[in-house]
Amino acid sequence: MAKLYLKFEQAVLKEVTVTQGGMVTLGRLPDNMIQVDNLAVSGHHAKIYWEADHYVVEDNNSLNGTFVNNQKVSKATLKDGDNILIGKHTITFKDEWHEDEPEARVPTQAMPAVPQMDATVVLDTKKAKELMAQARALKEGGAPPPPAAAAGPTASGTMPAVAPAPPPPPPPPAKERTGMLTVLEGKTDEPQYVLSGKLTVIGGAAQATIKLKGSMFRRPPDVAAIVRKQDNKYFVAPQDKKANLKINGANLDHQQELNEGDTIEVFGVKLNFEYQS
Amino acid sequence: MKLTVQVAGKSDLGCVRTNNEDNFGYDTRPGIYVVCDGMGGQAAGEVASKIGVDTILEYFRKAEEAAGKYPVEGTPLEGVSERANALASSIRLANKSIFQAASQNAGHAGMGSTVVAALVKGNFFSIAHVGDSRIYLIRKDSIQQLTNDHSLVMEQVRRGLITQEEAEKSNMQNIIIRALGSEETVEADVDDMVAQPGDILLLACDGLTKYVKDKMLLEIVKSAPTLQAACERLIQAAKDAGGDDNITCILVRMVEHPWYRRWFGKGNPQWQNSI
Repeated sequence: MAKLYLKFEQAVLKEVTVTQGGMVTLGRLPDNMIQVDNLAVSGHHAKIYWEADHYVVEDNNSLNGTFVNNQKVSKATLKDGDNILIGKHTITFKDEWHEDEPEARVPTQAMPAVPQMDATVVLDTKKAKELMAQARALKEGGAPPPPAAAAGPTASGTMPAVAPAPPPPPPPPAKERTGMLTVLEGKTDEPQYVLSGKLTVIGGAAQATIKLKGSMFRRPPDVAAIVRKQDNKYFVAPQDKKANLKINGANLDHQQELNEGDTIEVFGVKLNFEYQS
Repeated sequence: MKLTVQVAGKSDLGCVRTNNEDNFGYDTRPGIYVVCDGMGGQAAGEVASKIGVDTILEYFRKAEEAAGKYPVEGTPLEGVSERANALASSIRLANKSIFQAASQNAGHAGMGSTVVAALVKGNFFSIAHVGDSRIYLIRKDSIQQLTNDHSLVMEQVRRGLITQEEAEKSNMQNIIIRALGSEETVEADVDDMVAQPGDILLLACDGLTKYVKDKMLLEIVKSAPTLQAACERLIQAAKDAGGDDNITCILVRMVEHPWYRRWFGKGNPQWQNSI
């Protein structure tokens, strides 16, 4: 008997067994044993069956053809590990044993672990840390992980076993910097703002972090500009043309990183940026 | 300029499955949009994702009735808005509900779910996620992934242990390192954003994003005549590519809301409860 694994990219979609004397049909229509619902595949595209003493794949004059290991074929003998391509899908052929020679039955190499359909698994925090440490060890040492001693995650049988790993080295100390904006000119609700959040909104909206007051005659835009903190840096970006955002006197129409001492101007309010010491 | 939203959502079995473990829901009144992708055998995945959507919708509907006061669950996060913290609280509650349901019913042991949620309030929106479902922002002619998958391979990519190409070929793509219901507590990643008129948020499970790449997502959403048509075309694209998983997406477009509509229009709230 042999096994056929229908794959799309890396994912195994289906597994079908073909036996001596049996036949497996491939095609787009639902009456096929392996249905491949893709327009590149003909209705009855190809078949795989036992002939005399070996398995063969035969193309049924399909429009886009059948390929075995990247060779276009009309009929071809299959051997263990061959890849049959129809449309964008691959069928991997695994010859397991021949029923008529039971003594010659050699267990073929186990299929590599592949993501099984419906096999999304969750690692608990501890297991995840172990696997991360293992990957790091692989990357740094280049050595294969020690023989599997510990058990793999319980949720999945397809997982490689996890070896006990040394504790991960501590991450490099990232010095957290906090920026602040000091009001130099104009009307706002506070004289100074510490930019502790990931997002600082400058505008007239009630949710704004830095509230622009405007005047009786000039209402500020709800969101005039935003300051985002990302990777320990601050970036300012305009949100409303009416706000007339400037950085160090120059108009700004895109996102720009803030540096110590920069002055930003928005809707008549001037703010000075610096990092907290 | 004030903004208002248009929304559409859809869920599909995909080409292979006979059950749908995904769920989604939204309500424009509190401004909440949720997609959950459940896991666990014997229909437990469906149970988990439904509990997730229901718990989060209910949290925000109750808060809306209580004049926008968001009850706090767990320890508030620093450096993010009250809205982002509300999302984190609702996700902690959902985690608790699923965890309890899993421990009380033997058939549901080991069930879990991913979640992506967006809270849209006027010109502001906040996002939160746990697991490998994603939120994308489509702004003008660009698409940006706003969430980082909590999957083992993406975590390895972020730490520079493997490359993106290796990740896409890895046999461990199906392993996620955070989920609702698998541990007693969970922390969501949250973020705050400011909307621009015309922005579109796409909330989707991996059944879509595994098969349809970013550029294609953008093209489909941009070319569809309506949001509903865009949802349908996204799902079809995933199925055409072999989509063996359940496929779910929500699209939320933020559009200008002129003052005369706000004054004279009644506004039509839209909502969709879990399926």
